Amino acid sequence: MSALLEANQLTKIYGKELVVNQLDFLLEEGTSTALIGPNGAGKTTTLSMLTGLLNPTSGSIALNGELRADVRKEIGFLPQYPQFFSWLTALEFTEMAAKLSGMDTRSAKVEAQKTLEFVGLGEALRKKTGTFSGGMKQRLGLAQAIVHRPKLLLLDEPVSALDPVGRREIMNLLKSLQQNMTILYSTHILNDAEEMTDQILFLRKGQLVERGSLGDVRAKYDSPRYRVEFTCEEDALNFAARAPWKVSYHGTTSFIDITNEMPEMKEVLGYLAGSGLSVRKAERQTASLEEIFMKVAGQA
Amino acid sequence: MRDLVILFQKEWRENTRNFKILWIPLVFIFFGLSEPLTSYYLPQILEAVGNIPEEAMFAFPEFTPAQVLMATMGQYQFIGMLVLILGFMGTISRERKNGTGTLLYVRPISYVSYFLSKWKVVGIIALGSVWLGLLTSWYYTGQLFGNIPAIDFLAFAGTYSVWILFVVTVVLAMSAWLPTGGAAGLSLALVVFVQLVNSLLGTYWTISPWKVSTYATQWLTGAPDISDFWWTIALTIIFIVVLVIFGIWMSKRNASKTKV
Repeated sequence: MSALLEANQLTKIYGKELVVNQLDFLLEEGTSTALIGPNGAGKTTTLSMLTGLLNPTSGSIALNGELRADVRKEIGFLPQYPQFFSWLTALEFTEMAAKLSGMDTRSAKVEAQKTLEFVGLGEALRKKTGTFSGGMKQRLGLAQAIVHRPKLLLLDEPVSALDPVGRREIMNLLKSLQQNMTILYSTHILNDAEEMTDQILFLRKGQLVERGSLGDVRAKYDSPRYRVEFTCEEDALNFAARAPWKVSYHGTTSFIDITNEMPEMKEVLGYLAGSGLSVRKAERQTASLEEIFMKVAGQA
Repeated sequence: MRDLVILFQKEWRENTRNFKILWIPLVFIFFGLSEPLTSYYLPQILEAVGNIPEEAMFAFPEFTPAQVLMATMGQYQFIGMLVLILGFMGTISRERKNGTGTLLYVRPISYVSYFLSKWKVVGIIALGSVWLGLLTSWYYTGQLFGNIPAIDFLAFAGTYSVWILFVVTVVLAMSAWLPTGGAAGLSLALVVFVQLVNSLLGTYWTISPWKVSTYATQWLTGAPDISDFWWTIALTIIFIVVLVIFGIWMSKRNASKTKV
């Protein structure tokens, strides 16, 4: 895979406030990257610089290795709350977006219609965008971002304003786009990042504090443990007192920390089988992305 | 320049669908119609209003056709300018503020096309409205007060068009530079207030964009000083060009202020 976009020491300062601080990252062609961080971490500012809306205070963005390339020719962008001209229909808007991105009139018309059908707005082609619900606007936002088949799709919190059903539908659409486009999206909904990510970039106070594949990041921050649930508190207490490992407990549940893959699960299960304790459930737990996020976001 | 055509179509569609293409000409036609009619029927209007003592005697002035057309332009210079400023003050700033500009600015458009598409559409609507209004006024003035030669009228309306184009350019350049409220305030100051200053102190200078309307009216009563006239027109065109360049630059610079 080759690098489609390379951000080098990307920095943005507003007045005296350092909003984005020397970001370095690569987006490889055909990959999907999640830009994760708490509110105010600099996610939208980073995306605004990548779209060409904001000029970086210092640093550079290279597209296909070209430093001074007009990135706008190669990108599709969906803002967090896309706003449309309320007097245009969905088809008119998408067609205009396609034409402004360089498509000829005939192709723009055909592609606009196809794309709107793809995002589920086939029934609303000729409705004015001013009458659209939040979910419909998000779909239209996605349609205008992909209608010209950009190489790089930039999405700012694409599903955060949607209800669970809308979120699922948009995530499914994005997953289907993953094969043909390089995607960079910001989010603070970590389940989404877990679903559709080759690379994670953790931003905190404008700085990139962690990066890598989900597996790498998880391995670094994960604190695996076994969770054993008993039918009564007494058994949990007995287990904590007698087991040959360091065990903590809370109510009817006990936890055994795993260090260097020890103890093994079969050892734990063997001990439990011979202990006469009434076990309801035993499982290995790994940290969720949310827990990792809390750890990374909480770094001093 | 293809993006200029696409953006022009967008602007035209916008002004059609928000009815500016209809109500702005109607306002100018209304004033173009009402001035000769009220001037002509003033005695009857006063009589119909009533409450005038029977022994009261009024000497109504005899208006010349040129005075009626000048009075129409007087209405345009205040109410007409207000309509143009308030109607188009948010043309660029509003797109930034409500975020509709964002999805345009992230596309490979040229800001020259972006500004010029708006300038052309607003210019067409403003000039079309003023010409329709002045033609209406000219027709009724001819019917009620006497004929004004077509050549004089064309010289008058043509000269006044340069002023209208200047006003439109001021409004759009301010809208590219400032938020909507600021654009309206500064446009009003530049168009209406400076004009007032010009009418009070204007005897000290003869060449200025704010003199264009004065020279326009002089075509109806004779002819302006040709040298001053052409220098004024040239200076106004230079101002328009500079303001267009300023507007393009500001549109580009302020694109980063759009709501994301």
